[in-house]
Amino acid sequence: MPAKPFGDARTRASEITSICIVGGGTAGWMTAAALANKLKGLPVTITLIESAEIGTVGVGEATLPHIRAFNTALGIDEAELMRATEATFKLGIEFCDWGRIGDRYIHPFGDFGPAIDGVPFYHYWLRLRAAGATGRLDDYSFPIVAAENSRFQHPSPNLDRVESTFGYAYQFDASLYAAFLRRYAEKHGVERIEGKVVQTNLDGKTGFVDTVVLADGSAIKADLFVDCSGFRGLLIQGALASGYDDWSNWLPCNRAVAVPTQSRGPLGPFTRATARTAGWQWRIPLQHRVGNGHVYCNSFISDDDAEHQLVDNLDAPMQATPRRLSFTTGRRRDFWKRNVVAIGLAGGFLEPLESTSIHLIQDGITELLALFPDRGFDAPSVSEYNRRMGLHYERVRDFLLLHYVATQRDDTPFWRHFRDLKLPDSLQQKIDAWTTRGYVIPYEFGLFLPPSWVAVMMGQNLMPTGHDPRAHAISDAALTARAAAIRDSVAGAVRATPDHADYIRRMGGAGSLSRAATAA
Amino acid sequence: MTVASLARQLPPAIRITFLDIGGTAESDLFYGNVTAPSAYAFNLAAGVAEPALTLDSDTAFSWGTRYDHWAGGKRSWTQCFALPFPVVDGVLLHQYLAAVGIDRLEPYLVAAMAAKRGAFAHPPRDPAKAAQHPLSRADYGYQFDPASYARLFETAVADAPGRVVRVADALASVEIDADTISGVRLSDGRVLSADLYVDCSGPAAVLLSHLVPQGEAGRRIGIAASDAPAARPGKPVRTVIPTPYGWRSDVPLRGRTRRVTVYDLADGEAGVAAHGPAPKLVGETTLHRRPHAWAANCVGIGHVAYVLEPLTPAPMMLLERDLERLLSLIPNMGGMAVERAEYNRRCREDTHHAALFARALFATDGLPDTPYWRAALGEPQPDALVRKLEMFESRGLLVAYDLEPFHPEDWTILHLGMGRRPARHDRLADRAQPAQVNAFLTNLERSIAQTVANLPDCDTYRAQLEQYLLRNRR
Repeated sequence: MPAKPFGDARTRASEITSICIVGGGTAGWMTAAALANKLKGLPVTITLIESAEIGTVGVGEATLPHIRAFNTALGIDEAELMRATEATFKLGIEFCDWGRIGDRYIHPFGDFGPAIDGVPFYHYWLRLRAAGATGRLDDYSFPIVAAENSRFQHPSPNLDRVESTFGYAYQFDASLYAAFLRRYAEKHGVERIEGKVVQTNLDGKTGFVDTVVLADGSAIKADLFVDCSGFRGLLIQGALASGYDDWSNWLPCNRAVAVPTQSRGPLGPFTRATARTAGWQWRIPLQHRVGNGHVYCNSFISDDDAEHQLVDNLDAPMQATPRRLSFTTGRRRDFWKRNVVAIGLAGGFLEPLESTSIHLIQDGITELLALFPDRGFDAPSVSEYNRRMGLHYERVRDFLLLHYVATQRDDTPFWRHFRDLKLPDSLQQKIDAWTTRGYVIPYEFGLFLPPSWVAVMMGQNLMPTGHDPRAHAISDAALTARAAAIRDSVAGAVRATPDHADYIRRMGGAGSLSRAATAA
Repeated sequence: MTVASLARQLPPAIRITFLDIGGTAESDLFYGNVTAPSAYAFNLAAGVAEPALTLDSDTAFSWGTRYDHWAGGKRSWTQCFALPFPVVDGVLLHQYLAAVGIDRLEPYLVAAMAAKRGAFAHPPRDPAKAAQHPLSRADYGYQFDPASYARLFETAVADAPGRVVRVADALASVEIDADTISGVRLSDGRVLSADLYVDCSGPAAVLLSHLVPQGEAGRRIGIAASDAPAARPGKPVRTVIPTPYGWRSDVPLRGRTRRVTVYDLADGEAGVAAHGPAPKLVGETTLHRRPHAWAANCVGIGHVAYVLEPLTPAPMMLLERDLERLLSLIPNMGGMAVERAEYNRRCREDTHHAALFARALFATDGLPDTPYWRAALGEPQPDALVRKLEMFESRGLLVAYDLEPFHPEDWTILHLGMGRRPARHDRLADRAQPAQVNAFLTNLERSIAQTVANLPDCDTYRAQLEQYLLRNRR
């Protein structure tokens, strides 16, 4: 077979020349900014339709470390972003009352101690624990100890130092982030159209979306449509009936009520998630306020009671009236159908217990760019996109569900609901492997790596009955000395780490924080 | 390899008894003659450091395998090892090649170019040097003879006296009680018992076969190996060529060349005759995979559980993975249900993924119409492979699954080496002007060529390295 010439089957006529993003908010503007950046120089117009009438959800205020790569790719300066979005740093999430009422643990962005002879350190900790040692595993984690002490600095580039052994993310005002990206996107050529989509026209032959029609009668035509319209999924569901896989049987929470409060007390570099009687409450400290919310299942608590529970557990005065939301946990059956790709809430919803909402937007954008279509919208590319996004969603789902099942709580009907739940096989296998021997079944394409699973399972008292026998290959004395050295190293490094708020000011990221300092 | 790995990494409280029943020389041929770069770390963890490998065996360094006149009957390429390719502005290297109509990847692969010249040097890994040095993107494995490679591990075990109890005897019978192995009876009447039995007896699976039947039988192939004088200069690359009876490989080792032929048994005579009058080792096997590698209290390693054709480094890669997997799942006392389930799951996935890569080598035409090739080309393509091929040929996209043994760069080299060309390239590559792309590629090609030109030939490098190691040997 002669080598095929490196021809290009794509002709000018088959290239995508116009993209219409339906919906603003975080999903819409992240998509617009990323596409504008990546497609710059190519003959592609990008239009975003949003309506001031339609509110955005805005609950995605805490992020994951991957957001930094997204921002870096856009050339965004970190300090500038932090000032504009009132951001704080985030080292992890503190979970309160999840294992048992009164318990707390932090799921950090980092590992627990360095591996010894290829065996993860936590096995050695389990060995020490089995021998009667009482120290915390947390003391081997720089991000945990730093978070507990409200300290932060950027990771050290020197990989030999314990100060390099963590990642970090941000806690920011999602609506300010969307506004920031809107400015970016418009500066890079994205056209914003104010309007509400009232009708979608399909091509009679292909079934593709041909135009969307706004309330003022204007019609916007595009080759590729990105549906960022939120839960409604105006195009992906409204026009194309993609279908929805409802995951409420596993994750029953279907309501949220959110309210901002004043900032008070030390500025901790972590989000807090506190388990409640029929759900959980978030607390996300920003520079200018604290974001609070209660995610719950209305089968187990009324909306009014849920709101009262939230308000009764705030640690500062409210700055607005609580806002209620409803949702159905699950995923779009097809994230991409014909010439429509759904990103953000239009693609699915998983409660923000582990700050995954913005990350799933990022995943959707990344995979769209990797599989950027031409007008043929070939079936294999669409199928591959759906396969990848399906895997992302399922693996996040499993990790979230873990929080609800790795618990000793049975004090309310909500918590008892999870006791006998038939879990997805993928999660059950992981739990079985863990409880038997502290083994975390690995995967490559998934958000949460083994240290995250260790953090949640240990933190919620799901202790394995055994551990890796290889952890006994070193002597008691050597292990004791090594463990002490790691603890001391972490403690010493944290002592030398600056206060979180001071660090933000020093690195130029202070928005309201600088004004607060000046006022003080 | 099993004994050395377990002895080195398991705590002393776990007793290890090695029942040496011998007799795997022929089946060991099916482990092939090339390792992947993963061998370095594996060997170190098993107590075999590279200096010992260099000084005490005829193992040679390897940039990979050159498939000569393979695809389409005449296409040749070097399936070299490489670190992840450069990603420029979010676009993979091969997409830029496609964008400017360049269909040769080889000039941009430092290992392939070094292999062509017969040159070798260790790639720098010091971050300060690596960033600037084109050779840092290369990676290397080893070319080996299974018998002498095994002796390295035997020596490693001997270096820790008392850690392993070695029993050399024939196996008389295996005692089964309630679907579990309760003991192995030796020819002298002794019975050895253990909590866990690790079967390394090759395709005969003297232990595991009592618990797990052989899986669906695939092709049956023969193998013959002989030695010829070392070619001068020796090349740090294995060469594989298709022949009417199957294929032939020549593997430069230190001081000799190992020739291997693999053939359909219908053409066994031709497969063996290719070695001329030289003494040879001959074997045959059925390519297969058992339904489970671990059943009850017995785990089968390597050929006990599956046999893959040694056309790629997969057999050794999987053997290493088997042992790493076993070590990470060594059971504590009690039932082994969880360990078994996970070991079997990952073994299945690893062998399935490795088989995809080998099967992809047969997704071509222009090869002989003989029993071996008819059987090999006639095997169905799994859906996962169809997806991989389709997406690459459509748009140069690399579809990947969890924890595959072969990396995206391995697949890229394979696809382009075999003449697969994406019908269209990544649109994002069009952001760069063709002149810019060409300049980048020209510079890359030139810097690789200059680097390779300055490398010593493999024999000289080896000789100097040996002198250095001898001087510094403790």
